Formats: sequence, structure tokens, C-alpha cells
Amino acid sequence: MRFDRPKSLTMAQQFLNLRTNPISAGGGRLRGNTLSWGFSVSPTLLSRIYSARIECRQGLSPQVFIDGPDLLMISGGRRLPHVYEQSPVRLCLFHPDFGEFGSWMRLDQTIVPWTATWLLYFEEWLTSNEWAGGGLHPRLHDQGQRRSYSRSLSSRVAR
Amino acid sequence: MLVCSVGDEEACVHIDHRTALKKFELFGVLEQICERLEPSETQSERAKSCYEAVGQWISNAGNDWLRSSSIYLQGSTALGTTVKPIGRNEYDVDLVCFLSSLGRWLHPAKCKQLVGDRLKEHQYYRAILEEKPRCWRLNYANEFHLDITPSIPNMVCTNGGELVPDKSLQCWKPTNPKGYRNAFQRRAELVPRMRMTKSMTMDSVRADADIEPYPEKPRFRGVLCRIVQIAKRHRDTYFLWRDESLLPISVIVTTLASWSYEYCVNSFVYDSELDVLCDVIRHMPDFIEQHEVNGRFEWFIRNETTEGENFAERWNSEPARANAFFEWHNAAVADLDRLARSEGLDGLSKSLTAAFGQKPASEVLENIFTNVGSARRTGGLSLAPLVGLTVAPTARATLVRHNTFYGAP
Repeated sequence: MRFDRPKSLTMAQQFLNLRTNPISAGGGRLRGNTLSWGFSVSPTLLSRIYSARIECRQGLSPQVFIDGPDLLMISGGRRLPHVYEQSPVRLCLFHPDFGEFGSWMRLDQTIVPWTATWLLYFEEWLTSNEWAGGGLHPRLHDQGQRRSYSRSLSSRVAR
Repeated sequence: MLVCSVGDEEACVHIDHRTALKKFELFGVLEQICERLEPSETQSERAKSCYEAVGQWISNAGNDWLRSSSIYLQGSTALGTTVKPIGRNEYDVDLVCFLSSLGRWLHPAKCKQLVGDRLKEHQYYRAILEEKPRCWRLNYANEFHLDITPSIPNMVCTNGGELVPDKSLQCWKPTNPKGYRNAFQRRAELVPRMRMTKSMTMDSVRADADIEPYPEKPRFRGVLCRIVQIAKRHRDTYFLWRDESLLPISVIVTTLASWSYEYCVNSFVYDSELDVLCDVIRHMPDFIEQHEVNGRFEWFIRNETTEGENFAERWNSEPARANAFFEWHNAAVADLDRLARSEGLDGLSKSLTAAFGQKPASEVLENIFTNVGSARRTGGLSLAPLVGLTVAPTARATLVRHNTFYGAP
């Protein structure tokens, strides 16, 4: 048993937190150690209202999708920055090696606000074509590496 | 398996309240644009001390007629509806030099000459003086122009009106800058009636802990002044790539907006100031009159504060001016409608650019991004229900922790 890290939150705890925090008001499903939570998020009053969805399985990194409106359509076919997948759009919200997210952290206090900031910078990017939110890009040399990078990210989460 | 969804009624209230807040925020954005187009406080104070000095110089003359003169503000500076012109630094400060002891017996050209000659006696004024058809202009480079129009009392006007030289300097024309300003200010003091939205009523019954951070901004000017500024800036932007000689004069825009404002405010109840703005602009042409004069229809936008001044006079000799007004008006209604329905900050940026030009649009947007960006860096950014990212957190908001966006470029 390790005592140096806080205890991981169960999916039931995450589900309850998402349900009770007004910033992630929405609906979802908890089945065993898997949760799916959909919520509306808008970075500012002047922004669109987006439908976001968190998919998370105990011990794995949470995945965040934007189900609507269609970001690719809004971007007029431009390649979206800081996403793992272009379609369905899956957001890159944190660096897996910087300790920004761990399984003991609440999704409603990390992933949800980060989704809002991502969307703010997305709307700015639509106008300026520049990502002002900062961040890092992994070095990808070939497609093979790209695949393994995608796999490794979905499995890596500080435990 | 546990399944949960948000209630339909709650979702409706959420959207209702959000729409109201969004409109409030949008009007706030337009106010910010207006503020940036106004002369700064320093500029206004400097203009004031300059025109007061000019007034003193004129009234300190040896001439008895000039000694009885007084100088006062007219036009947009007097009304609080100034917008700086596009592409030049100087804005106009319109002044009246009222010569109370003169009358119609003096030829208008002679009257104008009298004021001009006095200004030329001053070494500095002589250097910056420019003669315009009806007035004298003092050019304070990169700051403002003082446009000084001489006027005399109008004995037949029961409303304290005055007479100014016409463009040809051959006859006197009735006008009433003080009366006009009073009439405008009376309307500007009218406050639109706002409907309480369903959600706001519900909120008032809710506990304090439930109150959302409301994007509170002080409203320094009345709604009417802002509406006139917005309309004038839209006009300036619209005519930038068109025939600028046909640009509807400010007094027409101001007069129609103030009449329309009085009508709208007295007749309707609104959800937001943005709705007031759109409605007031929409109703502006309702107050233009057409009457048959000598067998043909003529346009009238009368100065209600004195007999015999028709602001639309030139529309009758140059019908292209009337057409230009209506074309601009249609565009203004459409652009404001597009603005109210714009989606996303990118959509807002596009519609603001179309309506008011690239510079004010990008400045306002940059302001939003800079505020959020610096709050995010210093850890002062929160996400609140309804309003989104905010630097003014409440009990229901969640702090935005540090993160590094990762992934493919």
C-alpha cells in the first residue's frame, strides 16, 4: 500500500461530484467503474453553448468529447489545434507528465473548467488562427509513433 | 446502473436567464466601443479651457457688439454623443458665439466677419484659423477643431431661438441650439421600462447563495446617448467605402433617434437595453414627414424647438441624400439584428467588424481575452454557472486550476 498519494476517487464519487456541481449541470450514466457525463458548457456569455461529454473508466485518463455543435464545421474545415482526434473531437486538456491531473482529483474541478478554457481559446483561434491558450505539442515523427502516442495517452493517468 | 438528467423546466429557466444576461453583456460591449470612441477626459478638459479662452478673447474686444457676446457648446459635445471620426485624430467641438445685442439689421456676412476679424487679432488664433462657409474653425492639430458659428437673437421665436448665417451668407436662418439641447436632455432622462424575466423573478425568491455573478458595469451615460453614438459610428463605418458626401448629417441621426427613443420608451416594455437599441433604430424613419409643397413631395425633419428649420432641407434639392439615408438605415437595422443573433466570440467579432470597423471590434475582443488570460496565469479565474469564465467568483463558481493544453498542433 502506498501512502504518498491521495486515494483515487471512485467513479461513483466522480459521478456524484459532476451531478452536484452547478458548472457541470447535465446528465449521465454510471455503470460499474465506467462513467459517461454530458454537460453544457459556454466559456463566456457571448460564446456558443457547447455539448461536452466526459468518458472515464477507473484508472484510465478521462476523455473529453465535444458532441455539438460540430467544431469542424464551425472551423470551416481547418485542422483543430490541441485535440487528440479531429472527429469525434476529443480535447487535449492537460499534460500527462506534469501532475496536472490524477485519479484523486475531481473531474468537475479540473476537466470541466479546462473544457471551458479550451473552448474560449477555440473561439479566439477561429478569428485569429492562433492558439493563445499556450500548451505543448508532442513530437511526432511518423504515423506509427502517432498511434502509440494516442494509445499511451488514453492509458496513462497518475495513480 | 445510475442514470441522471437535468429537468426540462430547469433547463428552460437556465436558457431564459442566460439570454437576458447575454443581451446585457452585448450592450456592455457596445458601450465599451462607444467609450473608446469618445474624447478622453483630458481632451475634453483641454477643449473646454481652449474654448473658454476663445470666448473671453472675443468678449474682451473694444467693439461693443462683441463685448456682449457669449460662447457656448452646441452639437454632439453639448449632448454627450460625440464619436471620433474614422481616420483622423481631430474631433469637432461645435460652438455658438451668441451676439446678444445684434439683430437682423446686420448683414450675416458682416456678422461673421466681425468675429473672424477679432480672432485674427490674436497671433496664435490667426495661425490656426480656417474659414468655413458658415463658421470659423480653430485647428488644434491632433486634438480637435473648434467650430465657431456666430448667432444673433431671433426676436420672433418665442422659445429663445437664435439666427445663424445661411451657407451663402446672404440671409439669416432660424435655429435653437439651447432649446434643442434641452429637448434632447429631457428625452435622454427617460428610462426604458424593463420586463422582469421569468428566471429573474424566480431568482429573487431564491436564497443569496444562489445568486450568479452578474456582469455589473456602471452605465455612465443614458441609453439614448449610447444609441446615438452607436448609430453615428455605424453610419461612419458604412460610408467609409461609399460616397461620403451623402453621409446623413449628425443632427438628423440624433433627432430621429431621440424622437424614436421617446416613442419606444413610452409605448413598450423591453427585456434588455439591446432590445431598446434595435427597436429605436428600427423606428427612426417613422418620424420623417413628407408633405406636398408646390405640387411635389418634400421631406421634413423639423426642428421642434424653433419655427422654420428643416434638418432634411437638402434632401429636397438632392434626393440622393434621402436615398443614402434609407440605404444606411436598412443596413444598420440588419447589422444590429445580426449582432444580436451572432454566435460565439468569433461570430461576434465578425458582426462587430462589419458594423463598426475592424479596430473597435478587435480591441473589445482582445480585452476579453486579455482579462481571462491574465486571470488564468495568476490563478484568479473561475468557472461559474451561466456566466462562464469569470474573474469575480461566487460560492457556486469553481476555480480554474493550472493546466497545459497538450496534443497534436
